[in-house]
Amino acid sequence: MAESKYDVLIIGSGASGGMAAYTLTKKGIKCLMLDAGPPIDFERQRVSKAAHELPFRGFGKPGKLSHVFQATEFNANQWVDETQVPYTHDPKEPYNWVRVRMIGGKSLFWARMSFRFSDYEFKAKDHDGYGDNWPIGYSDLAPYYDQVEPIFRVRGRRDGIQQLPDGVFIEDTSGESESNKRFIAAARERGIPNTKMRTSMGRGQFASSFNLLLPDALATGNLTIVPNAVVREITVDKNTGLANGVNFLERQSHREMHASARVVVVGASCLESTRLLLNSGIANSSGVLGHYLHDQFYITQSVQAVIPEARDGKAPSGFIGGGGYMPRFRNLKTKDKSFLRGYALDWSTGGSPDAKYFPLYGEALQKAMESCRGAGFSCTVMGEVLPRADSQVRINKGVNDAWGIPALHVQTRYSANEFNMAKDAIATLEELCHACGWEVLGRHDQMFPPGYSIHELGTCRMGNSPKSSVLNKWNQSWDIKNLFVVDGSSFVTGGSQNPTMTILSLSMRASEYMAEQMRKGEI
Amino acid sequence: MKRRRFIQALAATPTAPALLAQAPPAPSVAKTIPNSGNDAALLYATPDAAAETVLHFFTAQQFAALRKLSDLLSPPVNGAPGSLEAKAPEFLDFLLSQSSADRQQLYRIGLDGLNAQAKRRFNKLFADIDAGQAEMLLASLREPWTYDAPSDPVAAMLRAAKDDVRRATLNSREWNLAAAAGRTRGGGGGLYWLPID
Repeated sequence: MAESKYDVLIIGSGASGGMAAYTLTKKGIKCLMLDAGPPIDFERQRVSKAAHELPFRGFGKPGKLSHVFQATEFNANQWVDETQVPYTHDPKEPYNWVRVRMIGGKSLFWARMSFRFSDYEFKAKDHDGYGDNWPIGYSDLAPYYDQVEPIFRVRGRRDGIQQLPDGVFIEDTSGESESNKRFIAAARERGIPNTKMRTSMGRGQFASSFNLLLPDALATGNLTIVPNAVVREITVDKNTGLANGVNFLERQSHREMHASARVVVVGASCLESTRLLLNSGIANSSGVLGHYLHDQFYITQSVQAVIPEARDGKAPSGFIGGGGYMPRFRNLKTKDKSFLRGYALDWSTGGSPDAKYFPLYGEALQKAMESCRGAGFSCTVMGEVLPRADSQVRINKGVNDAWGIPALHVQTRYSANEFNMAKDAIATLEELCHACGWEVLGRHDQMFPPGYSIHELGTCRMGNSPKSSVLNKWNQSWDIKNLFVVDGSSFVTGGSQNPTMTILSLSMRASEYMAEQMRKGEI
Repeated sequence: MKRRRFIQALAATPTAPALLAQAPPAPSVAKTIPNSGNDAALLYATPDAAAETVLHFFTAQQFAALRKLSDLLSPPVNGAPGSLEAKAPEFLDFLLSQSSADRQQLYRIGLDGLNAQAKRRFNKLFADIDAGQAEMLLASLREPWTYDAPSDPVAAMLRAAKDDVRRATLNSREWNLAAAAGRTRGGGGGLYWLPID
């Protein structure tokens, strides 16, 4: 086989793959990036339409994207079509695998919530005895968070909250509305901290691998991006045992191709990366590959309330509006009897409650909704899910995707720990609303099925031993030293924070290590 | 490749909330498209502007009940079109014809149940009862909201219809026109993703 002209082959162009390309190409390393999806021209790909101009009047085609609760008739075409790339699960244990195949991946569409993990996540076992610690601590990753946040231009407020470390922020100096002050004070009385939402501002409020990482990598002249390359397997040299490239199929023609490189980096998103390794039959001497799937459970519109003083448009200027983020506050210094770990709250005031919350119909409903317009309080609960060995994925050899690649079978469900946590969250929120004098219209503790958060993690976990983990502390395969997995599959715990900043920082850290190992000739 | 060239395709900010939320309404009923070879642009209309839905799904009695129910749930208010003007029942007949068997049963059994209740209590079909009588049969809609749908099939259908009729009305061409004329708020619209080749 001819010597490859590429040093590193990167699979995936989202946050993790993009950061690997960004870091490696700046060090003069020649990279080839493959992505299963096409490049997207947002101007050409999207057109303004009224709902009545759509075939199903905005309801969406019944049955299409039944697992993607985020899908609407407007955005249905941005998600991966399950009929083209199927997966399976027990009907009694639904899993919502939400995917994007475009250059930029899911970083095109994320909510841009940008948090650091703390040692409550990295050293979780030390804290409560459950599960495993990461092989790294907060101090190992902090220097990389410091570099990632300025690239993504994270706006936030430095509040010195131990469980949510401050970062290199564009300082959020905005004030609080009177309603928010009341809610924050009620929380503080109960030992619940609050901070401003931490958000990647990016450029033009667009914060993606697509506009923040890939352009700089391309500008070095060291990156080649090949879209529409559906990777089927990672190939291994039988003599050396090292990865030597990948076989992929061109998305539209299905022509099979082989690309080679000195090092292979997998950043195809947690479950696609795991599926690729399982289908390749590599990197699994531990038997752990595919296990410990976890995410964060989400309860949206968990408590819906109305702020009486803001009814009928009577709220004076500055009385209502805005929101905040309450990081995990349970099981930090005390131990709750009903569950381990904790949850975060993403709350806001000033919205308008949905019609379903009003026990009315007809003209009376219209009047009530008009009265409560802009007077609402709502909150999303995001809870930590315990990583468990029996929460797993495997290959279903009986089901193939449109390219003949075996599909994934997902087996996971939430447990009493998560359900108890959800109950506590709702009771706490309701108590806070009552303390503020707000009228609770609706409450529920029903989380979406696993996967909904689009924060799937852990199926290719890192660790200190090749017997119990797939990767070492540098995101490097224990079995194949020139193979790295840099996405969320490497996580050991997931916390209650959005994981993107941690994925980006891990990828940057792994890439710097990789570059140094390549310079030394170790890989 | 220069950064500017790489990102020049980006005209908007596709963040998750922006994409999942509804954008400001597109005002057009008919739209102007670029035309090659002619100076004049061609104008197109949507089917709803020019034709009526052919009904397939509900029986005549079920559909009559749905029309009555739709009018009760979303009547015209303060110049905004009601569900009947918005042809919400006709649209729902189409939508249900495409929906899952569970959803179809929910509506069929619920509407049949509503007719049966009206017959039993007032010796009339639901379509023929008066407002006071209807208020009695729709009592479940005045119960506080719970996450789980009611176990009673009529109450479950009423809850689904409250949402569906309202949405079909707000997303209608007629509502969009009223919003454009300043007679009501909103009018569903947004950026539509074209299919990827």
